[in-house]
Amino acid sequence: MRSLPDPHLPHPATLLERRQLSADTALFRVAPAPAALAALARFVPGQFVQLSVPGAGEVPISPADLPGEDGTLELCVRRVGHVTKLLHDALPGQPLGLRGPFGTGFPVREMAGSPVLLLAGGLGIAPLRSLLFHLLRHRDDFGEITLMYGARQPELMLFREELVALAAGGALRLFLTVDFAPLQPAGDFSCAVGLLPDLLQGFRFDAGRSFAAVCGPPALYRCLVGELQGAGVAPGRILLSLERRMRCGIGRCCHCAVGQLLCCTDGPVFRLSELASIPEAL
Amino acid sequence: MRAQALGKTYLENSKLDAFLERLRRFGALHGPTVSDAGVACFSPLVELATLRLDYGRTLVPPKKYLLPFREELLQFQDGSYRSAAAADREVVLFGVHPCDLAGIAYLDTVFLSDPPDPGYAARRAGLTLIGISCEPDDYCFCTEAPERADCDLFLSAREGGYLLQAGTPRGEAIGSAARELLAQAPLPPPAPPRARRAIAPQDPQLRFSEHPLWERFAELCLSCGACSVCCPTCYCFDVREYPRLSGGSGRLREWDNCLFKNHGAVAGSANFRASRLERLRYRFLHKFCGFSPLQGMVSCVGCGRCKSACPVEIDLRELIPGGAGPEGGPP
Repeated sequence: MRSLPDPHLPHPATLLERRQLSADTALFRVAPAPAALAALARFVPGQFVQLSVPGAGEVPISPADLPGEDGTLELCVRRVGHVTKLLHDALPGQPLGLRGPFGTGFPVREMAGSPVLLLAGGLGIAPLRSLLFHLLRHRDDFGEITLMYGARQPELMLFREELVALAAGGALRLFLTVDFAPLQPAGDFSCAVGLLPDLLQGFRFDAGRSFAAVCGPPALYRCLVGELQGAGVAPGRILLSLERRMRCGIGRCCHCAVGQLLCCTDGPVFRLSELASIPEAL
Repeated sequence: MRAQALGKTYLENSKLDAFLERLRRFGALHGPTVSDAGVACFSPLVELATLRLDYGRTLVPPKKYLLPFREELLQFQDGSYRSAAAADREVVLFGVHPCDLAGIAYLDTVFLSDPPDPGYAARRAGLTLIGISCEPDDYCFCTEAPERADCDLFLSAREGGYLLQAGTPRGEAIGSAARELLAQAPLPPPAPPRARRAIAPQDPQLRFSEHPLWERFAELCLSCGACSVCCPTCYCFDVREYPRLSGGSGRLREWDNCLFKNHGAVAGSANFRASRLERLRYRFLHKFCGFSPLQGMVSCVGCGRCKSACPVEIDLRELIPGGAGPEGGPP
């Protein structure tokens, strides 16, 4: 009777390499088996996959690159719980599992032709890096690209060299800020000290035509949406990637409801206009 | 409705035991019993004498036959995950009240929609449901038609016996297999009235209303989760994986509970439903407003379990205009 395809069954995948990005965060390059890769062909930045670490369980992760481009997938994962701890301890060659992609991504087709403002806080850079890669790959389809990225401290800023190199090449405007900064040694790349909303306040852009994509800790959304709306970005063009603990990814386990919407199937990328009547969303 | 297809549709009380024995041909016979501890529960009817058709409501609803409290979803062995073997047992569940049948119909909507849940689908395919009419008590608040056949076979109590209505080909097959036990019905079976829920879909904004009951309920609530455990339509689950000494691991699905504090927790330390008020609102939203594709669908079937199980007598229906209480009670 188990002839039905099992939506809980992950495709095989293998850990290829890990690159430490900060004390508790690393970038994992994963090789999905052909079946997983075929499923990832429909990936849209902002969607998530369910990553299985055998013996520990499954966690929802938004890929940090465009999976499938070279047959691999990059996942930027912080060591915060049981599953992610085992992933951080894993060695290359470790068998993993992958389901997905799930959920909505950023509406990249609708965004075509418009300027895009990316606002990332902390680990929120991961899904936005995927979106950034998409925008850069289709550079001519989009207007001006601006990335504002805030981290707590300079050493917690992820992908800094990579982002700086892209900005130096003229592909995007990059603003980096940290909440706290000790004295930075001369010769090191320095960034502004302050919060993201402060950075946004002094920023002039074509708000009426822009899309803003935001990903970061919950407190960041509450501060930023007011600033963005005040600047004149339409609520339907403010795109928020929300975090909930999706157990199943297919709208069944009911852990991830945001109002009456499910983060796993209706999200994780929501428009602010969808969340207007849901006070607990942000 | 195919009740007429049975022809003879009346089962005298004196033939009930013979009829139940006949049901064993279709699977392991289960029905309402009372445990040694005095708790009403659905359990195997090894002895027909343990059957208690005068039960009010079982503590745990029949969802346990479709969604076991804990079940293995996957096994990891030799480098890959594979699906756990499906249960393939046949169970005949006898004596299910209309509210619980409505609960199972709701779970079917959830778990058999695309993509169907293989474990649920296998157990549902092996479950024969035989409903029975009931006498509402003080905790009941359904306006389900007291007699309906959202099941394979439905027994409506009549003077001296039961009127049988088949709802599926399987129900008809059971009727055929018990043909000589049945008599011509004294009256034609009534047309099954349309079922309706006691509570209309609610405006989701009601959860943020200034209703004073929200604060009162939040102060009273113990977060024990009894209302959710005993709810015939609560199905939210957690997924856990445990390593095995053999080197592999097993991934389990377990009942979860939206009243528990960790239900809204995410990685790190954030919790989207850290307060009891937020968790009660979440439950209200799921029961009376519905999530995503089920928006506008009330999943409360009026069985009265949550009200009878709550140790501090919280009844979320009191928030709903005309939903509960002495003056606003259902008809």
